Amino acid sequence: MTATFPSRGQVLSAAPTVFLILLTAIIVLASPGFFSGSTILVILADSVVLFTLAAGLSFVILLGSIDLSVPAVASLGGVIVAMLIPSIGLAAYPAAILAGAGAGLFSGLVHVLLRVPSFIATLATGGIVSGMALWLSSSRTVTIAGEYRHVLDPVIGDSFGIPRIILIGAVVCLIGVYIQRYTKFGRAIRAIGAGESAVRASGIHVGRQKLIAFTIAGAFAACGGALLAARMTSGNPAGAEQLLLPAIAAVLVGGTAITGGTGGVGRTVVGTLIVIVMRIGMTFMGVDVFAQQILFGSVLICAIALTLDRDLLQIVK
Amino acid sequence: MSLKLENVTKTYGPVTALANATIEVHPGEVVGLVGENGAGKSTLMRILAGVVQPSSGAFTIDGEPVRFSGTLDANAAGIGMVYQEQSLILPLSIAENMYLGQERRFTKYGLIDHAAMREAARRNLEKVQLDIDPVRPASELTFAERQMVELAKALTLEERDVERLVILLDEPTSVLEQAEIDVLFARIRALKDRASFIFVSHRLDEVLEISDRIYTMKDGEVVDERPAAGARESDLHEVMVGRVLEHNFYLEDEQEPPQDSVALELRGLGSGRAYRNINLTLHAGEVLGIAGVIGSGREALARAVFGMERPESGEIVIHGKVEGIPDPSVAVRKGLGFVPSERGIEGMVPMLPVSENISLANLDSITGPFGLDRRRETALAREWIERLRIKTPGPAAPIRSLSGGNQQKAVIAKWLNADSRILVLDHPTRGVDVGAKHEVFSLIRELCREGYAILLLADTLAETIGLSHRVLVMRDGEITADIPAPAGDKPSQTRIVEHMV
Repeated sequence: MTATFPSRGQVLSAAPTVFLILLTAIIVLASPGFFSGSTILVILADSVVLFTLAAGLSFVILLGSIDLSVPAVASLGGVIVAMLIPSIGLAAYPAAILAGAGAGLFSGLVHVLLRVPSFIATLATGGIVSGMALWLSSSRTVTIAGEYRHVLDPVIGDSFGIPRIILIGAVVCLIGVYIQRYTKFGRAIRAIGAGESAVRASGIHVGRQKLIAFTIAGAFAACGGALLAARMTSGNPAGAEQLLLPAIAAVLVGGTAITGGTGGVGRTVVGTLIVIVMRIGMTFMGVDVFAQQILFGSVLICAIALTLDRDLLQIVK
Repeated sequence: MSLKLENVTKTYGPVTALANATIEVHPGEVVGLVGENGAGKSTLMRILAGVVQPSSGAFTIDGEPVRFSGTLDANAAGIGMVYQEQSLILPLSIAENMYLGQERRFTKYGLIDHAAMREAARRNLEKVQLDIDPVRPASELTFAERQMVELAKALTLEERDVERLVILLDEPTSVLEQAEIDVLFARIRALKDRASFIFVSHRLDEVLEISDRIYTMKDGEVVDERPAAGARESDLHEVMVGRVLEHNFYLEDEQEPPQDSVALELRGLGSGRAYRNINLTLHAGEVLGIAGVIGSGREALARAVFGMERPESGEIVIHGKVEGIPDPSVAVRKGLGFVPSERGIEGMVPMLPVSENISLANLDSITGPFGLDRRRETALAREWIERLRIKTPGPAAPIRSLSGGNQQKAVIAKWLNADSRILVLDHPTRGVDVGAKHEVFSLIRELCREGYAILLLADTLAETIGLSHRVLVMRDGEITADIPAPAGDKPSQTRIVEHMV
């Protein structure tokens, strides 16, 4: 039966890419100016922050969990970078990422050790982290003074005529794809998402893998926040707040199932591009902001509905 | 009432699940239905229960053609199904479970009259002689009691406007132990004047014991009908699989004496009331069977050995070294493997490919210089598929698309790939059809010859005795007997049963 027709899985894995191409084609037809070299670079550059957040989130969603603290952790990362650049220069980036990893680990511990559902655990950590970002910054946007711009240059400058942030995005992507596809951890979390009991009964330390996943999500989120701060030349303690829905959408529209078990970071690349192209494209075409939100929400619902395998999922809670 | 299916066919697209099946059920009769997995028994039962509709053919009750569009229609006609996987909702009370969906009958001014519902539930529980307060939540019942409640639930259909009932029992004994099965059968016999039964089971001895007449199915067709009286297990086997159940079914001829070296030793292992002071020794090359009814503690003990549950006292000694086994990850490192009874949940990850299921317990085996090596994984899976003769379209096929027997072989391959030399097999032939069972037995013999040590909790007593070198009997959490079972001198079932209950 399955030999001649592409299987459901094959169709689903191709769908996001097909959708991205269709979407681009529609926009190009409607406004031919859209598809120039410079718009492509703008689109890619604009995608990197969201992609970094979504890439980290992919690990947690693959696991079958969710991380709602991503925007808070990203904002914290931005604030830390902005505050530390004057004193420690480039080391501010790793410091922010480390803080993000710490926040992620904390979420993971609450989820795994206290057995709090990830939804609530990360909602709570998100609150705590948000508070910390506000407290550290005294509730103000921390501006990075002009004299420290050279520290931002690695992020906001150009190399070979390409914005460096795109290259950073490529590196983030490679790291993410490697961890997810080529490490035992990556395999373990996908398997956990597909059937946790069997993974445990195969001798894999499930709790430990979950902790790592949340830690990675935190580190990626803070990294995304740091990149955002560099681009804005300031760290806003609420700067990434509106990125939660787009980040989740990027993961899901890319084809990672909300129930876990299928998908991956590679798919999130496509998902992120869909989200960004939709947004920029609609603005380009002059679609009303409210209409954009409606369309955006509808696409998200469709994506989730399509990626759910109902044979496996009889009850939705 | 008398119920008849005539030349009924059910197709799903190009697949014919049931072809020209004709069966009849007379009042007060227990009809046995046997056949290998995939023979069409479930489809037949689902048609009778109104879950699916036949593609063609006639379905009549007392000569009147009927057409069900759902289980409620079947219920209204007096047909009730007792499902294999128990369908009680555990937090609800017994009474609420029995009248789930029928609350309207007890409604007064829009509110449910719980007292009336309880009374009605109690009346039906009496029919199966179950003396339990229907207010208690279903979660407090044992598996056997839950099965009885399901039966009582089916009997509530009598309160409808129907003359007699037909109750469909789909593998009702698969989770029951012998003593509980005896009780169930006694109830069925006592209820014959109220209802007819269709009894589906993999265990032919049970079908022969309880049925008046037996239909055998094979490849979607009803191939045989005979009275149970005078029929033998081997006859049914023959029509089911087209071959005789040989004397050497459990491959006793291939059983060789175990080695002297001790692989696993339990010293004074205990956990609350589940099991106490368990001492046992498992040698390399030995199959040690543990027999016991549900509640004997054997399942909990097997899980504790693999670290799935933590014992409260005692020591686990592996190859002469005392080891703490706090969780399965440690167990695997120490060379243990576990084939759980719930294959679809704990044994395998259904949606993952065969290859990924095989490598799951030992990801190091597919790790190359740059991390996981998919080519190596596929090659490794191919090796195991060939060695264990796993029938699969390929290593990339999702394991859930395989038959039960082949799934189980892949689960065993996982442990062989993890180099686990001590295997805990918890009902390894559950949901595995006769032909594939034979292959699992053959694999167990082969592993023994290679020095693997096997702790076995088998599906039936016959299987326990047939496969084991030694049988430990457990009762109420304690070992009550240690009976040798060498090839050619196997103990009788009665000798073991006397220590079980």
